[in-house]
Amino acid sequence: MAKLERNESPVVISSSLGEMKGGGTKVVRKKHRDPQHMHPVVNAIISVLLGILAFTCIFPFIYVIIISFTSEESIVRNGFQLIPKEWSLDAYHYLWSMKEQLFRSYGVTIFITIVGTIISVLMITFYAYAISRPQFKYRKFFTFLAFFTMLFSGGLVPTYIVVTQFLGLKDTIWALILPLTMNAFYIIIMRTFFLKSVSESILESARIDGASEWRIFFQIIFPLSLPGIATIALFSTLGYWNDWFTALLYIDDPNLVPLQSLLMKIEANLEFMRQNLDVAIMQQSLFDTIPEESAKMAMVVIATLPIAISYPFFQKYFISGLTIGGVKE
Amino acid sequence: MKGILKDIYKNRVWLLMILPGTIWLLLFSYLPMFGQVLAFKKFRIDPDGFFASVINSEWVGWDNFKYLFSTNDAWIITRNTLIYNLIFIVVGLIAAVATAILLSELINKRLSKVYQTSILFPHFISWVIGSYFVFTFLSTEHGLLNQFLGWFNIDSISWYNESKYWPFIIVFMSLWKGVGYGSIVYLASIVGIDRTYYEAAMIDGASKWKQIKHVTLPMLKPLMIILTIMNIGRIFNSDFGLFYQVPRDSGALYSVTNVIDTYVYRGLMNLGDIGMSTAAGLYQSAVGFILVIITNYIVRKVDEESALF
Amino acid sequence: MKKKLWILIALVLSIGTILTACSGNEDSSTTEKGDGNGKPYEIKWYTIGTPQKDTDKVFEEVNKYLKEKINATVDMTQIDWGDWAQKSQVMINSGEQFDIIFTNGTDYVQNAQKGAFLAIDELLEEEGKELKQAINPALLEGIKVDGKTYGIPANKEAARQSVYTFNKRLVDKYNFDISNVKTLEDLEPMLKVIKENEPSITPIATFDAFLRYDYVFNAEMPFAFPFEGDTDHVINPFETDEAMQTLKTMHSYYKAGYLKEDAATSKDSWPMDVENWFVRMGGFQPYADLLWSRSAKYEVVSVPAEQPTTVNDSVSGSIQAISVTSKNPEKTMEFLNLLNTDPYLRNLVDKGIEGVHYKKNENGTIEDLPARIESYNMPSYSLGNHFILDLYKDDPEDKWEKFQEFNDSAVKAPSLGFNFNSDPVRSELASITNISKEFYPALATGSVDPEEYLPKFNKKLKEAGLDKVLEEIQKQFDEWKSSQK
Repeated sequence: MAKLERNESPVVISSSLGEMKGGGTKVVRKKHRDPQHMHPVVNAIISVLLGILAFTCIFPFIYVIIISFTSEESIVRNGFQLIPKEWSLDAYHYLWSMKEQLFRSYGVTIFITIVGTIISVLMITFYAYAISRPQFKYRKFFTFLAFFTMLFSGGLVPTYIVVTQFLGLKDTIWALILPLTMNAFYIIIMRTFFLKSVSESILESARIDGASEWRIFFQIIFPLSLPGIATIALFSTLGYWNDWFTALLYIDDPNLVPLQSLLMKIEANLEFMRQNLDVAIMQQSLFDTIPEESAKMAMVVIATLPIAISYPFFQKYFISGLTIGGVKE
Repeated sequence: MKGILKDIYKNRVWLLMILPGTIWLLLFSYLPMFGQVLAFKKFRIDPDGFFASVINSEWVGWDNFKYLFSTNDAWIITRNTLIYNLIFIVVGLIAAVATAILLSELINKRLSKVYQTSILFPHFISWVIGSYFVFTFLSTEHGLLNQFLGWFNIDSISWYNESKYWPFIIVFMSLWKGVGYGSIVYLASIVGIDRTYYEAAMIDGASKWKQIKHVTLPMLKPLMIILTIMNIGRIFNSDFGLFYQVPRDSGALYSVTNVIDTYVYRGLMNLGDIGMSTAAGLYQSAVGFILVIITNYIVRKVDEESALF
Repeated sequence: MKKKLWILIALVLSIGTILTACSGNEDSSTTEKGDGNGKPYEIKWYTIGTPQKDTDKVFEEVNKYLKEKINATVDMTQIDWGDWAQKSQVMINSGEQFDIIFTNGTDYVQNAQKGAFLAIDELLEEEGKELKQAINPALLEGIKVDGKTYGIPANKEAARQSVYTFNKRLVDKYNFDISNVKTLEDLEPMLKVIKENEPSITPIATFDAFLRYDYVFNAEMPFAFPFEGDTDHVINPFETDEAMQTLKTMHSYYKAGYLKEDAATSKDSWPMDVENWFVRMGGFQPYADLLWSRSAKYEVVSVPAEQPTTVNDSVSGSIQAISVTSKNPEKTMEFLNLLNTDPYLRNLVDKGIEGVHYKKNENGTIEDLPARIESYNMPSYSLGNHFILDLYKDDPEDKWEKFQEFNDSAVKAPSLGFNFNSDPVRSELASITNISKEFYPALATGSVDPEEYLPKFNKKLKEAGLDKVLEEIQKQFDEWKSSQK
C-alpha cells in the first residue's frame, strides 16, 4: 500500500483495498467523498488561488465599466478613479446617438463571425484531419505547407494586392471573412487533437465494415473530436469578433465596418487629433461632443460583453465529464 | 507518371479534403510571399502598378538589413526580444497547463466555469486599454501602487522611469493577458482524456497528484511540445502593444522594453521605407524558421511522434 | 520532396499569372479615359476625414456642375483620421489606381521621392494656370521636392508662428503683464505666482521647450539650420549652448512643480474646454485666439514666441497630389484648377448644398444649418484654397486679409524648399530616431537634468552615425542651394 502522502486521499487507498478504512474521524468523514476528487482542503486552496486569478482578470473589466459611467470632466481632472467623483451617462448617450452605426456594425460583426467561423472550422478540420491520417501519402508535405505560412507571410502590401486587385474584394464583406479563414496554428492544434483522440483500430473496424471515409469522418471522428473542434470554433469566433485591422485595410464603406474596427477608429481618431492639435482645433465642431475616455470605455463594454457571454456556450465542451460517446479500448 | 496518378487516386479523399485549404494557402499566403523580395530592393513606385514597381526597383542587397545590426541598440533589442520570449515560452507553458489542470480538477464545476470565463477577459482588452490599467496602478501621482506604498511610509516610486522593475511587470502582464486563452487548448485536451486511465491509476493507488503526473501530463505532452515548437518559431516576434503601449513609450525604459518590433516601428517613423520593414520581417521569420527546423529535428530524434513534421 | 516543391512553385506561378491576366483586363476595361466624345472621366479622389452621410448627395450636385464645365465626374472617398496613415500608405505602395490623394508633411516628401506622385509643373502651366496664380508663391516654392512640384498645397496660412497662450482670467486676476513675454525664461515670475496661489491649476500644460530652429525633420531629430548666424550649415541643435540653457530652464520649472510629473510620457491633450492650466504652447494663425476662446468657452490670449516663419512643415500641412497611377492627369488637373479658383465649387465641396446644409445671409456670409454638422462636416483645411471660402456670420470681415498679411510678413526659413533624401543614410536615421525617442521627450519636458542627459544623448547620437548624416544633409543642401541660383 502506498504511503499516505500529504493531501493524499485515504479513500483512494480504501477503494483499492475494497473496504472502507476505519479508525480516526478524518477517514470516517471521507467515507462519502467521490474518490475521483481532490482533498477538500486542497480544493479550497486551489479555489481561492484561482479565484484571485479570476478576480485580477475581471477587475480591470469592472473598472472599464465604472469608467464608462464616469463624467468626462472628472476623468480629465482626476484621471481614472475607482469611485468617480462624478457619475454620468454621457458616454452611453453618445453611443446611443450613433445607434444606427452601432447596430449596423453589430450586424456586420455577427455575420462575419458566424459565417467566418463555419467556413473556417470546415476548412481547417478537413485539412487537419487529412494530414493526421497515416494513410495519406502527402501528409508531411501538406503539414509543412501549412506550417511554413505561420512563419513567413507575404507582408501587408502584397496581401493587399491579392485581395483587392486579384480577387477584387475591396469594400466587400468577403474581404472581412476570407483573409482570416485559414490559420496554420489552428490546423496544427486540430491535427494534434485528431492524432490523439482517434485511434486507428476503430477506424479500421469501420472500414472493414464497409464505411466510406466521409462516413467515418462525420459519424465517428466528428463526435469524438468535439472538444478540439469546439476549441477551434472558439478561437475562430474570437478571432473574427476581435479583428479590426482587416476592415481598416479593405473597407471604406461605413456600412461594412465591424464593431471592433469602430472602436479602434474612434480610438485612432482621437489619437490623431491629440497628435495634430492644430487640426483638432479647426475641426472642433467635430470633436466637441465626444466624451473621449468614457466613450472609449463604453464601446469596450458593448463590444466585449456579447462575446464574453457567449463563451459559456463553448465551455460545455471543456468541462470534463462530458465526453461524447466514449469509446473504450 | 502513371505512378503519380495512381497515388492521387488512392489518396483522392484526402486530397479533396485538403483542397479548399490549400487553395486558400496558395492565394493568401504563398502568392503574397513574393513580396518578400522587397527586402532587398529600394522601393520606387512605377505607374504601371505594383509588379512593375517591384521589378523596376533597384536591387540593394543587404542594405535594408543594416539598421538591424549596426548599433549598440541593435544588440539590446535582440537580447530583449530573445530573453523575453524564452521566459514567455517557459512561464507561459507552465501557467497555461497548470491553470487548465487546476480548473479541470475543481470539484465545483460551476465555479470552474465562472473562473474560466473570467480569466479569458483580459484577452479582449486591447493593450491600449490595458496600458491605462497599468497606468492607474503605476502612475506616480495617483497610482494605486504608490498609494499602497504610502500606507507603509515607503517613498513613491517613479515607475515609468525605473527600468529595473519592468522585466517583472512585462512578464506579469503577458501572463495576465495570455493565460486565459492559453489554457483553453489544454482544457479541451484534458476533456478528451479517457476516464479509464484515471480509474486504472486510482486502482493502483495513485494520489491526485500522481494521477496528474502520470496520466494528465503525459497526455498533454504532444500538445505542449507542438505549441512550444510553434512558439519557438516566433521567438523574434513580439506583442507590439505590450512593449509599446504598456510602458507608455517611455524613453527611460527603452533598455528593457525596446524589442525588435518596437525598434523597427520607431526607426521607420521618419523614413516610411517599405524595404526596411520587409527586411525586418524577413529577418524575424528566417531566424524563427531555422530555430524551428532545429528544434523539430531534435524532437524527432527523441520522439518521432511528437514532432511537428 | 524536391519534386513536390517544384510542383508547388509551378502551381503558385500559374495561379499568379492567371490572376494577373484577369486583373489586367479588368483594369483596362473599367477605367475609361474619357474624351471629348461625351463620356465623362471619373476622377477617383481619396481624402482625409470621417465619411459623412450626405457625401453622395452633395457630390451629385458637384458632378452635375463638373460634367457641364469640364466633362468629368468625381468619386470622392474619405478615409478616417485614425486610419489615414496606414491605409494611404498601403494604397500608394500597392500601386492602386486613383487620381487624387490628400497628403502632407513628411508623407508628401517621402512619397514624392518614391515616385508615387506626378510632377505637375507642366500641368500647372496648362490646365492649372489659374490655380497657379491663385496660390501663394511661397507655398508653391516650399513644396518643391528635388526642384519639382508634386502636389497642390491648400492656400491658407503659409507660415507657422508658435505662441504662448494664456488663460486670460488668470492673467487679469494677477495683473500679469504678458506683453513682455518673449522667451521661456520670461514666464518664471508668473508661473511662481500661479503655483503658490492656484492649487487646482497646473501652471504649464505640458509642452516641449521651444527651440527655434529650422528643422530638417522635426524638433525631436538632431538636424537643423539656425535662423541666425550661419544659416547655411546644418548642425545638431542639441549641442548648442542655447539648447542647454533652455532645457535647464525647463528642468527648473519641472523641479519647481510647474509641470505635471508624468510630462515625459503623458498623452494628455489638455483639452481647451477644461480650465486646469495657465500657459500652453500652440501654433498661431490669424484670429486663432478667437477660435480657441470659442472652443474653450473662456478667454485665452496669445503672445508670440517667434515671428511668423515659413518652413517646409508649415507649407505642406495640406496638399492634394495627383497619383502617378492616374489615367487622365490633365482632366484631374482641370478639376483641381476649378476647385481652387471657382467659389461655387469650392464652397459646395466644403460646406454642402445651400439651403440644405447652410443658408446664405444677405451680406454674403453664411450660417450653418443643423444638417451640416450632422451630415456634411468636412475638414476645410484639407480641401483647397481658403481664400475663396464664404465667411461665416460671426467671422471677422477681414479674415482673409489678415491671413494674407500674416503670410506676407513671414520670415523664410533657410531650408525652405529643400527636402532631404534619406536614402543614403537610412540605417543611421533608423537608429537615431530610436535614440531621439528615448531622450527627447524627457529632456524637452524638463523631466530630467540636461546637465546629465544632454551629453549622454549627444554621445549616443555620435555613436549612431550623427556626423555621417550631418555631412550628407550638408552635401545635399549645398547642391540644392547652388541649383537655386
